[in-house]
Amino acid sequence: MQNMRHYVLMAVLVVVVAALTYLGLNALGLMPVAAAAQASPIDWLFDLQVKLIAFFFALIMVPMFYSLVLFRRKKGDSTDGEHIEGHTGLEVTWTVMPLVIVIALGLIGADNLAKVRAPAAQVEEIKVVGFQWSWRFEYPQGFVSNTLYLPVNRQALLLMESADVLHSFWVPEFRVKQDLMPGRITEYRITPTLIGDYKVRCAEICGASHAYMESPIKVVSQEEYDTWVKEQTALAEAEAIAALANPDPKRGEKLYNESGCKACHSLDGSKGIGPSWLGLYGSQVALADGSSVLGDDAYITESIRNPNAKVHLGFPQNAMPNFSYLKDGQIADLIAFIKTLTK
Amino acid sequence: MTDKQHHADSLFQGLVIFVALAFLTAVEFFIAITNASILLLTLVALIKAGLVLYYYMHIGKLAEEDDEHDHQSFAWKLATNRLGLWLFLLSDAFLFAGLLVARFNLLGFTRPHLNQNLGLIVTAVLLISSYFMNRGEKQMAMGDKKGFLLSTALTFLLGLGFLIGVVFVEWPTAAHEGLTPDVSAAGAVFYMMTGMHAFHVLTGLLFLLVILRNGARGIYTPEKHWAVEAAAVYWHFVDVVWIFFYPALYLMGRAL
Amino acid sequence: MKQASSGSFSRAMLFLLVGTALGTALGVLAHVLTSGEFQTAFLTDVPSWMLGFLLGTLGFFYGLIGYTGIVRGLVFQVLGTLGGAAFVTLIRALLGMELFNTGTFGFTEPAWVFGGLAGAIAFMAGVGALTDWWKYALGEPVHDHHPEEATLKDYFGVSLDHKVIGIQYTATSLLMLSVGGLFALIFRLELAQAGLDVISLNLYNTLMSLHGMVMIVSILLGIAGVINYLVPLLIGAKDMAFPRMNAFSYWISIPAAVLLLSSLGFGGFDTGWTGYPPLSTRAPLGMQMFYLGVWVAGWSSILGALNLIVTVLRMRARGMNAFRMPIFVWAAIATSIISLTATQMIGLAFQLAMFQRLLGMPFFDVAKGGNPILFQHLFWFYSHPVVYVFILPGLGVISELLPVFARKPLFGYRWIALSSIGIALVGFLVWAHHMFTSGMNEYLRVPFMYSTLLVAIPTGVKFFSWVATLWKGKIETPTPMLFILGGIVVFLLGGLSGPPNATVSTDLHLHDTYFIVGHFHDTMFGGYIFPFFAALYYWFPKATGKRLNETLGKWHFWLMTPSFLVLTLFMMRVGLLGMRRRIADYDPALNFDWWQFAMTISAYLIATAVLIFFYNVYKTLKSPQTETGNVWNSRSPEWQVASPMPAHNYDREFEVVGEPYDYGLAGSTYVKM
Ligand code: HEA
Ligand code: HEA
Ligand code: HEC
Ligand code: CUA
Ligand SMILES: [Cu+2]
Repeated sequence: MQNMRHYVLMAVLVVVVAALTYLGLNALGLMPVAAAAQASPIDWLFDLQVKLIAFFFALIMVPMFYSLVLFRRKKGDSTDGEHIEGHTGLEVTWTVMPLVIVIALGLIGADNLAKVRAPAAQVEEIKVVGFQWSWRFEYPQGFVSNTLYLPVNRQALLLMESADVLHSFWVPEFRVKQDLMPGRITEYRITPTLIGDYKVRCAEICGASHAYMESPIKVVSQEEYDTWVKEQTALAEAEAIAALANPDPKRGEKLYNESGCKACHSLDGSKGIGPSWLGLYGSQVALADGSSVLGDDAYITESIRNPNAKVHLGFPQNAMPNFSYLKDGQIADLIAFIKTLTK
Repeated sequence: MTDKQHHADSLFQGLVIFVALAFLTAVEFFIAITNASILLLTLVALIKAGLVLYYYMHIGKLAEEDDEHDHQSFAWKLATNRLGLWLFLLSDAFLFAGLLVARFNLLGFTRPHLNQNLGLIVTAVLLISSYFMNRGEKQMAMGDKKGFLLSTALTFLLGLGFLIGVVFVEWPTAAHEGLTPDVSAAGAVFYMMTGMHAFHVLTGLLFLLVILRNGARGIYTPEKHWAVEAAAVYWHFVDVVWIFFYPALYLMGRAL
Repeated sequence: MKQASSGSFSRAMLFLLVGTALGTALGVLAHVLTSGEFQTAFLTDVPSWMLGFLLGTLGFFYGLIGYTGIVRGLVFQVLGTLGGAAFVTLIRALLGMELFNTGTFGFTEPAWVFGGLAGAIAFMAGVGALTDWWKYALGEPVHDHHPEEATLKDYFGVSLDHKVIGIQYTATSLLMLSVGGLFALIFRLELAQAGLDVISLNLYNTLMSLHGMVMIVSILLGIAGVINYLVPLLIGAKDMAFPRMNAFSYWISIPAAVLLLSSLGFGGFDTGWTGYPPLSTRAPLGMQMFYLGVWVAGWSSILGALNLIVTVLRMRARGMNAFRMPIFVWAAIATSIISLTATQMIGLAFQLAMFQRLLGMPFFDVAKGGNPILFQHLFWFYSHPVVYVFILPGLGVISELLPVFARKPLFGYRWIALSSIGIALVGFLVWAHHMFTSGMNEYLRVPFMYSTLLVAIPTGVKFFSWVATLWKGKIETPTPMLFILGGIVVFLLGGLSGPPNATVSTDLHLHDTYFIVGHFHDTMFGGYIFPFFAALYYWFPKATGKRLNETLGKWHFWLMTPSFLVLTLFMMRVGLLGMRRRIADYDPALNFDWWQFAMTISAYLIATAVLIFFYNVYKTLKSPQTETGNVWNSRSPEWQVASPMPAHNYDREFEVVGEPYDYGLAGSTYVKM
């Protein structure tokens, strides 16, 4: 009889504690805003998990603290507790119950994954290149951007590849995450649903500046997107033509800031991961093999296209990613910019 | 049955197993040149390994009952050491299994282009050495010290031959044909697998030297010769590894 | 344990100071000579400090015990390293290859790596862990007996007594815990607010990665310590099955730790404890020392596990059949099955990566047909099961102590025993849940989700049985019991945060965030650190004859537990909101400053609690008060004899005549002495 009272009381407590835990966590707001269609199944499943956590947490903690309060040893009592060795029925129950839950969770999980990965009939295909320590987005229209523009409510299929080490594409508001590998393409499908500014954050450690490997993402309306694409295409063409004829240090500086050179090359003479560009042009560059070379157009072009061909003394080989995608005009711009950096 | 007859039988058994192993190796080669079925090759390798484990390495001894409770007695220590050695081999087997995983992950159903004759020769040499190892161990158990020394010395020489064959003949040959460690994953896998195996052969050879020296000095008796048993089991283990590595490197898949 | 004379101790401290100063000065001098510039910022010159640290340690031990044991080992290690490196350089000279590195470290990478290995072997020779085997090989007789009572000096040299080795392991583990904790305290300072203001990016990455691996090594040593000390006592054996190998397993972990930490002085590395290529193939030389250190430490695990399994299978007392073993022994066996086998895989993974760096063998280089994912498979095939290596002994301690303090039989002994084996075996099949986002074959994800979730079942059985053990008990809560209860709460939080990582789609969000960091700190603290401290408080009287101070113990507990909960729950929170792992700095726009600051404060409170524990140990060891009886009124055999444990354990072999946990059953005994 007395046992019955314990059990009823505990059952009530379990329900109350579980409910309070769940509601409390929910009130806190666990997830960032959801900005993609893929986020809703994930958030739904996570919410289910939180419910399970709250329930099992209460299921263990309530009887534990209940016992700690009620069955404490009284002062002066030196007898032992009741001799209970076990109870097969109970053991079977708490083996089978979680088993059933686990199987259900597995079915739900698989179904959920399928929803997250569901492909749309029409997709916007964009190539993503991750490199130490920035992102580059190559649009099928033939231009390259450092900001990822995505049209809202339309699935984008990102074909991702790394130029050097592993990286991972993660936008917390989109939830989904996918690693990038050198030499292999991985896919990332996302359907943004909320117009706004986000950031892609690299989630796989990739060396010194992993923390700073973030690039802006803009989810915009379809019209805005189309205009932007048109603009960029035209711009890229114009720039390529203009640059060949007369290189412009301004465009070079823009490239410096946006293509990732900034992460490694300083402009003030300080040593970064790569050598500073200050005074580079026209100087004698000491190389790792002991020789030296004049820092002229040819050397700089080669250093960008094929960084390992001549390695600057005191800097590691393989550190600089390959930037051969830069067009001749762009390299000419960069050289024009480097020329302005005199001591 | 007299003792002598028993001994002769047991030596004969070793020979029968050897012939079976040699035959299976031939079958393996035959499968490789006819249909190259990976399944069949694996099956044959498993049978070969089973034969070695059971008849040469006496895995059955692990299951022998012993009621010995005196932890100072030789019998107790022997059974304990045996268990320890086998657990070590189990652990080591994971290393080699890992190498096989790497091989199939990287090369799939292709294999490096290697000199088949050399592969077959070194395999045969290692197999024969296992036969002599088994013979030597049995001779020790019968108290035939001279025979033991002779068989073990032969094992040692054959083992040395295998090592030299792999490291100083196979490797240069492969390298000469363009398969260097840094040229491709196939090269890397080939040198790492044979290299790790050769390293184990080397330690086995050192072990053999120790029992040869101590055996010559008369430290072992027909009743007490744990070191000989251990060296033998270890030697056969290295052979078992090769039983899997040989088809994995030389026979399975399409040559690159 | 005999006290050291205070004379040798003050001499040791003096030598420590002198050694540190000398080493640092030498390092700075070398720096000035090679670079030609006087670095005003030599305070941040890590290699100099490493040298100072090394000489300081050497000086300390030299002052304490003279030129024996560990001192000779370390000297040999230094000489062996230099000798090995010189040897490779000589060979390179003969082959006409480049002899020295234009970088800061003199020798080339292959020379240093080979030197590191040679140094580890030299250490073992110097400390004397190889002597007996050398004699075996020569066919000379060796002596088995150990001294009646261990003196202080015995703890710093090769001893074959499992109790001494257990204490050696435990002390080393605590040292490593402090070092790893210290690293965490340093990098937590960096994380206290957004912006990069305390340490450089590379130092952050190195400290963070080392923190992970040093802590893991610390856990492995701590487990080995508890197992070594306890298992022979629990099963009534005189020692482990292979005492020499036992000493070898312990001592090899010292050069391993030195190698691991030396990566700090070799330019560090920036890959996290996972060491994934291709990043690791470009990292500085420190990477190789990290790989090599872990590789060497692996041998400690493998041989220790082998020894334990044989000991339990062969040396149990009369009457102790499988289901009458103390429950901790089951846990030890389950753990050892994993260590014995899976460890080879991380060894192989690291070995392949080392060779890729040394000889250009392109195992993980896609351009030449390699595959970086292969590394991840090999790595996690060990590194997932190893998390169960951490917790199984911890959960074993919980199961062992709960009946003592609840004064009731362990509820469902058989279920708990078999659940340990169940966790260990299922644990082998789940590794790829760390790789859901890696780009591995897609079809593998769902099966691995299932296998991962399955682990919840045996783990759940343990939790439910523990609660049932408490039910209707007569519960006492001295310090060890507090740590047990704390462990249950914390491990439950850690365990329950596991399934969200296991269902693939949610993991796509959670992977590589602080949610994961929170998850595993909870599991490791709840499953290992808390029970480990419980074990220390509980068996301290057995090992030393003295009982740790209760008041200080309670301070330790009540300071550590709430701070720890704040630390990890906040970790999970910021992780969900977008905080990535392994970053030295975070976007201020995320508004994490307050949370991060609170975490840093908590970290320092945890450290304070640990310092209180150290103070408690120090004070108790110095105090004369003794405690020789059955302190906790336990039924376990080791408490039925005097404390500290007699040199050869039990005078006569005992016999098991009853069930181990029959509390509350009048007239029943477990062992007959
Ligand atoms: C001691 C260490 C330990 C333990 C015990 C666990 C236990 C578990 N872990 Fe954890 N884990 C780590 C240490 C540990 N883990 C570490 C170190 C990492 C990160 C490594 C790195 O990347 O650096 C990690 C990462 C990690 C990942 C990868 C995350 C990622 O990087 O994306 C996953 C994914 O599945 C996971 C899952 C689990 C699960 C399901 C359990 C289960 O075993 C938990 C089982 C327990 C319970 C569930 C609670 C009790 C059960 C009940 C009360 C029964 C009822 C419950 C249900 C039916 C749900 N862990
Ligand atoms: C058992 C293992 C263990 C333990 C105990 C801890 C303990 C702590 N951990 Fe650690 N942690 C890991 C295992 C562990 N950690 C692992 C595996 C990683 C992953 C690494 C990776 O990503 O690669 C990690 C990563 C990790 C991170 C993420 C880093 C990142 O991703 O960038 C953080 C961040 O806050 C953190 C914090 C802490 C803190 C504050 C403690 C505190 O509890 C520490 C408290 C302090 C002490 C216990 C020391 C007390 C002693 C003294 C102060 C005395 C000092 C004196 C002398 C040296 C004589 N840990
Ligand atoms: C990940 C770091 C990194 C990034 C990003 C990077 N570099 Fe470099 N760079 C280096 C390193 C290291 C060296 C020196 C080693 C070498 O010569 O290969 C170098 C060398 C150079 C040199 C030769 C300069 C000299 O003094 O020898 C040029 C020119 C150069 N980089 C241009 C660029 C341009 C243009 C970009 C961006 C589009 C860029 N780098 C991005 C790391 C980087
Ligand atoms: Cu790229 Cu982290
Ligand atoms: Cu895991």
